[in-house]
Amino acid sequence: MDTASDKTGVSSLPVQQEIINFIRENFIAGRSDVSFGVEDSLIETKIMDSTGVLELVTFLEERFSITIADEELVPENLDSVKNLVNFLRSKGIE
Amino acid sequence: MKFCSRCVLPETFPGIYFDEKGVCNYCNNTPVPDEAKKLEYLKKFESLVEQVRGKHEYDVVMAYSGGKDSTYTMYMLTQKYGLRLLALTFDNGFISRQARENIIRMTDVMGATSILFRPSFTLLKSVFRYSAVHDIYSPKTLDRASAICTTCIGLVKSQVLKMALKMHIPLSAYGWSPGQAPISSAIMQTNPRLQRLTLSSVRDPLIGGFRENNLARYFLSDDDLAIEKERWPVNIHPLAFTDYDEDAIVRSIESLGWVKPKDTDPNSTNCLLNALANYLHRKRFGFHPYAWEIAGIVRSDSMSRHDGIEKTTQDEDMAMVRFAAEKLGIDV
Repeated sequence: MDTASDKTGVSSLPVQQEIINFIRENFIAGRSDVSFGVEDSLIETKIMDSTGVLELVTFLEERFSITIADEELVPENLDSVKNLVNFLRSKGIE
Repeated sequence: MKFCSRCVLPETFPGIYFDEKGVCNYCNNTPVPDEAKKLEYLKKFESLVEQVRGKHEYDVVMAYSGGKDSTYTMYMLTQKYGLRLLALTFDNGFISRQARENIIRMTDVMGATSILFRPSFTLLKSVFRYSAVHDIYSPKTLDRASAICTTCIGLVKSQVLKMALKMHIPLSAYGWSPGQAPISSAIMQTNPRLQRLTLSSVRDPLIGGFRENNLARYFLSDDDLAIEKERWPVNIHPLAFTDYDEDAIVRSIESLGWVKPKDTDPNSTNCLLNALANYLHRKRFGFHPYAWEIAGIVRSDSMSRHDGIEKTTQDEDMAMVRFAAEKLGIDV
């Protein structure tokens, strides 16, 4: 199971769950009529808009202490939970 | 009405909940950039400026509304950093007379080239009406701005990008306040692949359901999106990494000849459509469309919570609302 380490080095929530929690908290924001699967496009399903992409990048950089290069800002890395998990894995976040 | 004890978000804001101190989940989950982070971005910006300055006909194309934030941004880019600037003003048919005078005066003072871009008002009227009346944007988009503003800024962003691509301009700039976009996006290389995907947020809902078949030409086309990625500009919004203080900004640009319009609503210094956009949004959703942005400004200590709450709770001037509604043919 993928787990993220917080700044104290203590293992916390699995990476995938952290991402899902962020999306639920920030993009779905309590709306009970919205659901999504890990492979669903977050933009095509209207869960995330262009400003949301920027907020997601901020979250990933802050939470996982990584830097995301401009050339990494592509749908293959950011547009679904599965893509995000794989992208973070490529950055050494397990 | 209950408000977050730290920012200005009200209890009616979607998904909000408060901790035992009355602080909302958005405050608890949103990192506020510190001085070190701002300095990091300032250095990155200054390095970028050194790389691009003087290499093209224009160094930067910016979305210039004539309002206080974009005027101050233009001041920074031209006067502090010596950039050759093309100021693109999207005339939505509702620019205040004073703002129009400011646009001409300030671009003259800053030595910028000014382009006023105005689609036919017949088209704009239909587009604004359409976006105000139909559910075309995602709920999250409407948490941050009204439907009318989303339409307008979508057109503005497309025009700025089209101009940058057409004229090989290396930077595209906006006067976004620190509450409008996170600092991590303050200097960001645009790219066609992500752009194509995000077009589905604004362009596709509008042109997809809109009968006017000449609307698409105002957005990025497939030909634009096929331009090689090396030609795409770096997007910047410098107010994210500067000390943002509304009063200081106004004082600074007033000293250069900018005059605050008296005919706009409290949240705009250029647009006569804003009051109607805000009125319709509040009536429908129960919270002010500027609440999200102003919450971000308050969180970053750039505005007092008291002032922020005042700006997001004041009733609209119904004369302004009716003026715009009548012009668009909307019943209020």
